[in-house]
Amino acid sequence: MRDVYLVGAGQSDFGAFPQETYRSLFAAAYEDALDSVAGDLGAADVDEAFVGNLGVGGRQIGLAGPAVTEHVGLDGTPTTRIENACAAGGSAIRHGVQAIRSGMADVVLAGGVEVMTDLSGDVTRYWLGVSGETEWERLSGTTFAGVYAQMASAHMAEHGTTREQLSHVAVKNHRHGSMNPHAQLGFECSLEDAENAPVVADPLTLYHCCPTTDGAAVAFLASEDVVDEFADHRVRVAGSGAGTAPVGLFERDTYTSIPASRDAAEMAYEEAGVGPGDLDFAEVHDCFAIAELLAYGDLGFCDPGEAGEFVASGATELDGDVAVNTSGGLKSKGHPIGATGVGQAVEAFEQLTGHAGDRQVEGARYGLAHNVGGSGGAATVHIFERDDGGVST
Amino acid sequence: MTVPRIAAAGGYAPRFRVTVEAFEDAWGSFDATGIEEKAVPYADEDALTMAAAAGRRALSAGDADPGEVGFLAFTSTTPPLEEEDLTARLGEMLAIPADTEHATFGQSTRAGTQALAAGIDATFSDAPGADADLALVIAADCPRGEPHDEREHAAGAGAAAFVVGDEGPAAVTDRAEHAAPYPGTRFRRRGSESIEGLDVTRYDRAAFLEAIEGAVDRLDAEPPQFDAVAIQAPDGGMPYRAAGAIGVENEAVAAYETVSELGDAGAASVPLSLARAVADGEDVLAASFGSGAGADALAVVCEDAVPAEIDLGGHEEVSYAEYLRLRGDVTRDDPEGGGAYVSMPTWRRSLPQRYRLVAGRCPECDALAFPPEGACDDCGNLVEYEDVALPGTGTAEAATTIGQGGAPPEFAVQQSKGGDFGVAVVAFDAPDGSETVSAPAQVTDGRDVDVGDRVRAAVRRIYEQEGVPRYGFKVRPADGL
Repeated sequence: MRDVYLVGAGQSDFGAFPQETYRSLFAAAYEDALDSVAGDLGAADVDEAFVGNLGVGGRQIGLAGPAVTEHVGLDGTPTTRIENACAAGGSAIRHGVQAIRSGMADVVLAGGVEVMTDLSGDVTRYWLGVSGETEWERLSGTTFAGVYAQMASAHMAEHGTTREQLSHVAVKNHRHGSMNPHAQLGFECSLEDAENAPVVADPLTLYHCCPTTDGAAVAFLASEDVVDEFADHRVRVAGSGAGTAPVGLFERDTYTSIPASRDAAEMAYEEAGVGPGDLDFAEVHDCFAIAELLAYGDLGFCDPGEAGEFVASGATELDGDVAVNTSGGLKSKGHPIGATGVGQAVEAFEQLTGHAGDRQVEGARYGLAHNVGGSGGAATVHIFERDDGGVST
Repeated sequence: MTVPRIAAAGGYAPRFRVTVEAFEDAWGSFDATGIEEKAVPYADEDALTMAAAAGRRALSAGDADPGEVGFLAFTSTTPPLEEEDLTARLGEMLAIPADTEHATFGQSTRAGTQALAAGIDATFSDAPGADADLALVIAADCPRGEPHDEREHAAGAGAAAFVVGDEGPAAVTDRAEHAAPYPGTRFRRRGSESIEGLDVTRYDRAAFLEAIEGAVDRLDAEPPQFDAVAIQAPDGGMPYRAAGAIGVENEAVAAYETVSELGDAGAASVPLSLARAVADGEDVLAASFGSGAGADALAVVCEDAVPAEIDLGGHEEVSYAEYLRLRGDVTRDDPEGGGAYVSMPTWRRSLPQRYRLVAGRCPECDALAFPPEGACDDCGNLVEYEDVALPGTGTAEAATTIGQGGAPPEFAVQQSKGGDFGVAVVAFDAPDGSETVSAPAQVTDGRDVDVGDRVRAAVRRIYEQEGVPRYGFKVRPADGL
């Protein structure tokens, strides 16, 4: 199989932008991604495009892919919309990797876009539940906050995890996000802020939940045959993994782990030939604070029962054993559903090319991106490697 | 000669109560006599869910097989839809066979006893096709009026059910009726949810007394021989006026009345008192009144106490403001928007699961599956499951409470009325208790549960879509409260 490289990645600002549209946001991400490419990459170089999008609010659900690629001048480029709920972006990258490895493409655009903040509260809640198990789980009265809160309740009962430990996730990710100019909620928060915020679904408070977000992200993938035309520092996609599981929480064997994440991680680690201990940083899917703790266990950062203590220990801070969500994560950076997974690749690219500014992880060589759809019906894990041995600082 | 008998009884009333004092605080007075508090349905309750609860209790008390029920009656002046045969849904909720005669009664508060008479006829008729061994007769009602109206001050809620057949401790020895045209004493216009009346006091009273006296006079038995008298109770005063008119002691009425604690239970008023009285083994004179007007009188003689499961709730008091919310007087409407649409044909496929928790056993690996469709979660084989109806008890495995604004919009109206609600993943017990199968369930009655708590299923309204209410199981803590 041919190796695949990440040769550019960029994003729009993540936030609430009533003056923007899904097309203008995608265009902003596309231009940012083009600017990030070291070589000269243009529309004519792109062989195929995959665009992650859930279609929150309805709008252009059908043919959302061509609707945005055509808008940025990729007229005629084979384009497919990828829908895997919140894992749409990670799935778009995986499709890009597959297209290049198969030999059908040399350069692929893997992008994502979502507009979520121009809807009334009622319409937003309608859409936020569409990726839950619709007939039973949603109609028991839950949106995702409720389902993740249920997972938190089980994690607390099984492992003694505390709400304060959940709050550490929020504090850390906001601290990281405050260093990211693209972040939607780029402010710091205290443990007290997180603890005392209004309860959304017990035990989760507002600060344990990511926001709704408008935004887009675009990554360019290139084959080993053409990578040197576009990259000075080669960032290899060392491993790609994906998994699925029952869409409804109640249909799974465990509520304190996301089996699709475990499967995706195992696949990606094996392909990359590395383990969790080799990682310098990871972007994990922290749609809710408990999700980051679940990820620690599922990705092998610590024993699943010790995830709460692991975050409280500082092990996942910028200067910790494995810096988690240096971008601010979904919590602070924002979560434009279809774009989120690609946004994680943007952070990986910036870290591995030494462009992460104040949040740069020293000597970064291996980074992981973990993207979950729904409450775990689908997940992707990608491992990126700077193949010259790491960022020199 | 065999006589029709009541084999079992069930009674249900909501958990919530609003008191006279709460009304007095709000209005400066309480305009219905003889009522101390009254039952308030929760945001997901209506006449159909109360009927299901009472019916289930009557079947359980009598250890009756739903498969033997040849006649099912659903009776209410407040059905959740003005037109549609809701008895078909009630039958599915109670596992009543499809070839059972399904009857629906309403139109006046007399309908409960009319249904009981029809149940007796169905089990004792020689007419072709009328071959029911058992009848299940259920009356459930939750009348309402305009907030200022005295009828609203009285309006309560409750449900009662009877298993009727040729065996049982209570014999229905006689029955009679009387019709007398008296328009306007109590009526509900087309399209309106509120009962009203012309408030011509002497006229209203004449209608009530003439109809009841007329029916009771036709009974062979003399009223004074009954220890218990179950009389229609639109408020707590009229039954005693009728007692005087027919010549029974007030104590006989007071012994089993429910109006003082439940309020006006409409078509379930007389059935509730009757159920309570036969549960104590008392001989009962039952006399209903339906505006318009007409009355039924029944004489019931008990050889023994009738097996009964009657729990009339009343575990939690609400303020007048909470009462207005639960009634939907001050709450929001359904939101606009699209999203997770479940079509009616898709919904219908799941009715056995929603109503009766029918799980499936995998023929390949013997594991239980819920819902029983698609590949087995345990062995992964695509199989045809064998039906296993779960008893409805279980343990919360994961739980949360959904705060205001956190619910999907399908539940926006319910949350506006009832406030925060719990949602759990419940490990439901298999019939023999040896294993469990998990399903998500809302915790009803505004309660919540913690991981490890025991729960019990109840059919409630899930939500309404395109004007059609949809029902399914929720759970309540199994603490009996």
